[in-house]
Amino acid sequence: MSARLGDEISRVVVWAVMLLALLFLLVPLLVTTLMAFDARSYLGALPPPALSFRWFVNCFRQDALVTGLRISLALGVLAAAISSVAGAGAAIALDGAKFPGRGLLLALFVSPLVVPAVVTGFALLLALSQAGILNGFVRLLFGHVIITLPYTVRATLASLAGRDKRLVEAALVLGATEAQAFRSITLPLIRTGIVTGAIFAFAVSLDDVAVSTFLTDPTTYTLPVALVSAMRASFDLTIAAAAVLLMLVTALLIFVLDRAVGFDRLIGQGMFRT
Amino acid sequence: MAIRVELQGVTKRFGSMTAVDGVSFSIADGETVALLGPSGCGKTTILRLIAGFETPDGGTLRIAGEDMTRKRPYERNVGLLFQHYALFPHMTVAENVAYGLRYRGYPRADIPARVNEMLALVKLPTLGGRHPGQLSGGQQQRVALARALATRPGVVLLDEPLSALDAKLRQELRAEVKEVLAAVGSTAIVVTHDQEEAMSLGERVFIMSHGRIVQQGTPDDIYARPASRFVAEFMGRSNWFAGTLIAPTRFRTADDMVLEIAPHATDGAGHTLCLRPESIDVLPDGGDAGQNRLPARVLEVVLLGAARQITVELDGGQRLLALQANREHAPPARGARVVVGFAPSACILIPDDVV
Repeated sequence: MSARLGDEISRVVVWAVMLLALLFLLVPLLVTTLMAFDARSYLGALPPPALSFRWFVNCFRQDALVTGLRISLALGVLAAAISSVAGAGAAIALDGAKFPGRGLLLALFVSPLVVPAVVTGFALLLALSQAGILNGFVRLLFGHVIITLPYTVRATLASLAGRDKRLVEAALVLGATEAQAFRSITLPLIRTGIVTGAIFAFAVSLDDVAVSTFLTDPTTYTLPVALVSAMRASFDLTIAAAAVLLMLVTALLIFVLDRAVGFDRLIGQGMFRT
Repeated sequence: MAIRVELQGVTKRFGSMTAVDGVSFSIADGETVALLGPSGCGKTTILRLIAGFETPDGGTLRIAGEDMTRKRPYERNVGLLFQHYALFPHMTVAENVAYGLRYRGYPRADIPARVNEMLALVKLPTLGGRHPGQLSGGQQQRVALARALATRPGVVLLDEPLSALDAKLRQELRAEVKEVLAAVGSTAIVVTHDQEEAMSLGERVFIMSHGRIVQQGTPDDIYARPASRFVAEFMGRSNWFAGTLIAPTRFRTADDMVLEIAPHATDGAGHTLCLRPESIDVLPDGGDAGQNRLPARVLEVVLLGAARQITVELDGGQRLLALQANREHAPPARGARVVVGFAPSACILIPDDVV
């Protein structure tokens, strides 16, 4: 009887911890969302007495934010595309080969996850200046490809690890060359992994402040960087509205991912598997 | 008859391990051969060498007279049935069967007809539009068979073809695979560790151990005349008597029983006597039991369905396993005194020096 009671108690505790974690995650988002619709022109106590869209409208009236958004979207799409192709290629090479230093190479591809973003950003700034690359957008693109590579490499590796290697042998024995087997069998089977990596890469790129801060120039900056400087200049609820817009983009991505791959499978398969 | 597959001194090493050790054999056109052996004996490596997934370290491999030793898999015309089917999960059944036709340059317009013909052959004519994930294990293996045979391969390799299926389905499908192979007249090599599968599918059986073929012959031949204790134990169950040959027709066991055997040359070597369970009669005390009669006591009777497995203990203390057809007569009771009898011709002598 007491053993059973113990089980019941642990079940309740687990649920309580989960709810607490959920609250912790959601409350700041809810507060931000609520404030973004506040009609008052100063930061007042919650709940707001009246609601409006004025901060959203304001958002699109500020040139800095609109420019930031445009650059962020262009950068995200380009970085995700380059990173997916490069990451998938690297993953396929790493998966197929057995050579000394494979582990090291793998660690290198994932290192941007571990190396502090400040270090990555600063190092890139120095290196790119030395190389004479001064164009802000190109610099940002370099940075974003680097910080998104771990995601695209890992997502592709995970899908490669999950596939049945005998399928390629079956294709070869049925008359397909290595290249034909890759195109007709391997590629379709790892496609979801590559797409997952690309979407993650886009989200990471859209979200980055730390690396981007080092690489922007006065006319080329991303939305998060623009938000940070806007916050420093004059703190008003325009930032809350922009944050809500960013959240919407993220929510949309999660929805697309869930539809395309299934979020359970994505998380369950593990992004961070060798 | 023309030789379809020929291996000459084929050797394959993985690091310090020799997986295949100078194996030579030839297989005639239209013949089905079973490679039988425990796991790690090298049979799967031979199959992978013939398919072209591995390259031998020594020796030559010919298919239909052509040297294939160093050819890539797609440069050979070999069909392969995988143990776990290896159907392409993102393609329909029809696309799976058509895959080889597509890449082997079959006329595009003729592919659908050939696919239908193959699906009809394996009795799945209506499932072309399904995906492999929607099929049962037995259906998947039949699709795999249709896919492997569609391109009319010169040799079909079957890798433990039925071991992933449950026992009842395995028997049904075994008969079906045999029928289909006969219908297309393929030369086939079955790799298996299951002696029943080897004996039922193979016209000839090659028994392998440690990278070598230790005995080859028809299933009857090998079962009746195993060349070594290893072969005898791998092909069915046996009872064993250590002892010596004291005359061409007399064998004295280690515990001093003298058994009548079929005439055998006395070559001075030590021997072990092998007795198959089904050649032992278990009779009530005093019954007529042929030439070799040994008093014994019944330890256990197990009903297997078609047969009864009876364990007896000889008065000398040795235990024997007997197999009796489950007919109308009542089985001996546990603990009963009985006489076990067997014919001299049932005694198989195996020289000790053969391992």
